[in-house]
Amino acid sequence: MTAVDIQHITHFYGNRPVLDDISLSIRTGTFFTILGPNGSGKTTLMKTISGIENPQTGLVKIMGRPLQNYTRKNLAKTIAFLPQTIPVDFQFTVTELILMGRAPHQGILGLEDQNDLKIADEAMKFVGVEHLAERRLDRLSGGERQRIYIAKALCQEPRIILLDEPTASLDLAHQIHIMDLMERLKTEKGVTVVMVSHDVNLAAMYAECLLLLKEGKIVKTGSPNDVLTKHTLEKTYDCTLFIDKNPLGDFPRVALVPNKFKDKQEKDLG
Amino acid sequence: MQGLKSKLKCGYISVTSFVIAGFVLSVAVQSHGKDVLDQLGRAVKLTHTPQRLVSLAPSITEIIFALGRQHLLKGVTRFSDYPLDAKKLPKVGSYVHLDLERIVALKPDICIAIKDGNPKAIIDRLESLGIPVYAIHPLNVAAVMKTIQDIGRLLGAGEKAHHLVENMQLRLQRVESIVSRTASRPGVFFQIGISPIVSVGTDTFIHELIVLAGGKNLAEGPVPYPRFSREQVLGLSPEILIVTSMARNAIFDKVKVEWSRWNNMPAVRNERIFMVNSDLFDRPTPRLIDGLELLVRLIHPSLLEEGR
Amino acid sequence: MKPPVPFVWKRLLTITCLLFCLLLPALFLGLCAGSSGIQFMAVYDALTGSGNTDSILHDIVWRIRFPRVMLALLVGSTLSLGGLVFQALLRNPLAEPYILGISGGSAIGAIIGILAGLSRFPGVSLAAFAGSISTLLVILFVTSGQSMIKKDILLLSGVMVNAFCSAVIMFLVSITQDARLHSIIFWLMGDLSMSETGQVWILLLMLFPCFILLFLLSHSMNLLLLGREIAQTTGINIKGVTLALLITTSFMVSATVSYCGLIGFVGLVVPHFLRLLLGPDHRILVPACVLGGGAYLVLCDMMARVLPEQGEMPVGIITAMVGAPLFIYLLKRSKSR
Repeated sequence: MTAVDIQHITHFYGNRPVLDDISLSIRTGTFFTILGPNGSGKTTLMKTISGIENPQTGLVKIMGRPLQNYTRKNLAKTIAFLPQTIPVDFQFTVTELILMGRAPHQGILGLEDQNDLKIADEAMKFVGVEHLAERRLDRLSGGERQRIYIAKALCQEPRIILLDEPTASLDLAHQIHIMDLMERLKTEKGVTVVMVSHDVNLAAMYAECLLLLKEGKIVKTGSPNDVLTKHTLEKTYDCTLFIDKNPLGDFPRVALVPNKFKDKQEKDLG
Repeated sequence: MQGLKSKLKCGYISVTSFVIAGFVLSVAVQSHGKDVLDQLGRAVKLTHTPQRLVSLAPSITEIIFALGRQHLLKGVTRFSDYPLDAKKLPKVGSYVHLDLERIVALKPDICIAIKDGNPKAIIDRLESLGIPVYAIHPLNVAAVMKTIQDIGRLLGAGEKAHHLVENMQLRLQRVESIVSRTASRPGVFFQIGISPIVSVGTDTFIHELIVLAGGKNLAEGPVPYPRFSREQVLGLSPEILIVTSMARNAIFDKVKVEWSRWNNMPAVRNERIFMVNSDLFDRPTPRLIDGLELLVRLIHPSLLEEGR
Repeated sequence: MKPPVPFVWKRLLTITCLLFCLLLPALFLGLCAGSSGIQFMAVYDALTGSGNTDSILHDIVWRIRFPRVMLALLVGSTLSLGGLVFQALLRNPLAEPYILGISGGSAIGAIIGILAGLSRFPGVSLAAFAGSISTLLVILFVTSGQSMIKKDILLLSGVMVNAFCSAVIMFLVSITQDARLHSIIFWLMGDLSMSETGQVWILLLMLFPCFILLFLLSHSMNLLLLGREIAQTTGINIKGVTLALLITTSFMVSATVSYCGLIGFVGLVVPHFLRLLLGPDHRILVPACVLGGGAYLVLCDMMARVLPEQGEMPVGIITAMVGAPLFIYLLKRSKSR
C-alpha cells in the first residue's frame, strides 16, 4: 500500500520552479528521508505532501486518495507535520500542548474526554516526557520540546508523520534520541516516517529509502547504498567528500574533506 | 319697586357669581397645567409656578439672582460664580457635561437650559424622566432682554423683570446717544483666545456690543470665532486691542508685552491695550450692559468726558 | 503514576461561577453608588420592589444607573474579549481592541456626525459604526489573499490606518471652535453616561452572538498560537478562523465604541491580567474576559462616578490608574516564580 504517491508535481514561487516535475512513491511503514542542499525544495515538498502548499500541476495521493478529497480534519488524522521552526511565544504546559494534538478527533471546543487523556498519557510515555507534564513549554530545552511536539503529533493518531529537519539544532544525545524514537514509531506502530534531514549520516543509518533533491529536481532515489555514492553526492552538494562503509552496518559513511586534507586524500586513493 | 330691586339684586348676584365662577374656573384650568412655550417654540408642561429650579448655565443663574428668585434655585452648574452667593449652591456638573443623577436627585419642577451650550441628549433624557426643561436661545442684546422677561414671567417675577429690562434699556439709550455724537468708529480687535489668537465674528454678543459702543469690530464676518495669525492682526492695524481675562493678570501682562513689540500698531503706539472681564461680554445676562458701558469708556473716552 | 489532568470543562465551570460571584456584587455596588450619593439599603429595596422606595431614587436607580451599569458591563466584556482575541490573532502582547483601525475610523465617523449636528443616538453612533467598518474594509482589502495569515501584515496595516486617521482627527478638531468641540472631546475620552435602557438592550442583542461565536472559536485560538503550519495540520481552517475572528471582533468592538466612545486601557490590561491568573487556555479566558472584564469596568465606572467631588471623571482615567499598577505588580510576581 502506498502511503504517499506524488505524480508530476510542479510548484512555482513567482516564475521560479521550486519543485520541477517531481514524481515519487512512499510505501507504508517505511522510513523515508529527503536530502539535498539548501534551496533544493525539500521543505516545499514536505508542505505539499501535508497539504499546506498547493502545487500548480500534478497530483498528490495520500493512502490512495487524492489530497483534495480529504477534509482538513481527516487529513490531520492521517498526517502529522512538524515544521522546522515552531514559535514559543505562548505559556502552555506540556500536557496542554500534547492534548491539542487530539483536536482532529474532537468537537469544536476541543473538550477532552477520558479517552483523549489516555492517549495523551500514552504518547507522553512513548516519547519519555511524563516527568515534564506540568512544566511550561517555553522553559524547556530544544530537545525536550522536540519530543513533546512528537508526542502531540502522536495524539493525532496519524498514519504518516512528516518532520522537517527535526534534529537541526539538537545536541548529539538528543539527535540520536529523536531518530530512535522515529525508528520505534515505525516498527512498533507502523507509522510511515518521512523526514527531511541535513545530516547525511543519520539518514544513512536510519532510512530505508532516500530521495536526493537538487534545485527542485530528483537527482536519485533508492536505498542509502544506491544514493550515497561519491560521484552522486559530490555533484549534488558541489564539494569534496570521503565515503566509506560504516563499520556499524551495511550503509555508507560520509565525511567532509577540508582543504588541507584534499591532497592527502588524493594521494591515498590515487 | 320692590320687584325691580330684587331683580337687580338677583342680577348682581348672578353676575358676581359668574365672575367668581369664571375666575375660579380659570384658576382651576391653570392649575391643571398650561403649556408654556419656551424660546425654541417647544411646549413645556407646567402644573404650577415652579418652586424648585435647576439652572443649567452660569448666565441663567445670574438672571435668576437678578430677578430675586434665587430662593427657588436648588442647583447650578459648575462655573456659576456670579453673584458670589451662587457659588454656595449645589453643583450639577458643568454646562457641557451635566450630571443627570444630581439633577434628578434635586427633584426640580423645571430646569432652564440654553441652546448651543447644553447638549440636546441630556435635555431629552431629563424630559423623558418627567422633568420639564425650558430652553432659552438669546442671540443678541434685545433677545437677552426678552429672555429676562420670559424667565421673569415663568418664575412669577414679571414686575421685577420689567424693571430690570427698563433699566437696561435706559442705559442702552444713554450709550446710543453718547455714541451718536461722533462719526468716528475706531477699529477694535477683541481677542478672546491667546494661543491661537481668536477673535469674534458678527454673530456674537461681543460684536454687537462693540458696534453699540461706537467701535468697528475688525474681525467681523461670518465665522463666529475666527482665528488670526499675528501677521493678520498687524495687517488690520487695530486702534484698540482688548483682551479678555479668561487668562489671569500675569498672563495678560505677558500678552501685552508681546503686542508691545509691534509699535507700528496704533493700539500699541497710543497705549490702548486693555484687559476686560470676559463674563461681562459673553454671558447673556444684564451685565452685558455693564460690558457695553465699559467698552464705551475704552473706545470713546473723550465723549464721556465731554458729557460731564 | 501522575493523576490525570482535570477536565477543562470542570475548570471552566468553576472559574465561571467564581467570576459570576464577583460580578454580581460589582453590579450591585454600581447601582448603589452615584454622584448623588451612596445608598445600600434603599437601593436594595428599589431592586426588590418592596414598595417603600421614594420615586426619585427609583428613577435614579432604574433609569439612570441601571443602563449605565449594564453598558459598563457590556463595554468591559467586549473590550477585554477584543483585546484577548487580537493578542492571539496577531500573536502580539501589545495588541488591543482598537489596533486594527477601529479607534481611528470610529472617531472620524463620530466627529463627522457631531459636526453635522446629528443626535447622539442613533445619528452619531451609526456614523461611528460606519467609520470603523470602513477602516476594517480598508484593512481587509490591503491584506487580502494569502498574505492575511501573515500576522505582521494585519498589525502594520492597522497601525498605519490608525495613524492616518489620527491626522484627520487632529485636523477636524483644529477647525472646530464652538460647543461641538466639547462633544467631540468627551466622545474621544469615552463616556458611559449617554445611553438609555432600550439602547443598551439593542447592544446586548448585537454582542451576545459575538460572545458565543468567539467562545466556540476559543480552542482554535489556542491552536493558532502554535503557528500556521501546526494549526493547519492539526485540522484548523486557519484562513476561515482568522477571518471569522477578525470580522466578529471588529464588529463587536465597533458596536461598543459607537455607544461609548474610546475607553482605553481595558482591552490591553484585562486579558494579560486574566492570563497571568488563569493560564493561556482561551476556552477559559473567553468567558473569564466576559465576566471579569465586565466586572472590572463596572467597578472602575463606579469609582469614576463617586470619587471626584465635582461630578464624574472620565472612566478611562480610572482604568489606567487602577490597571497599570496592578498589572506591573502581577508581572513582577510572575517573573519571580
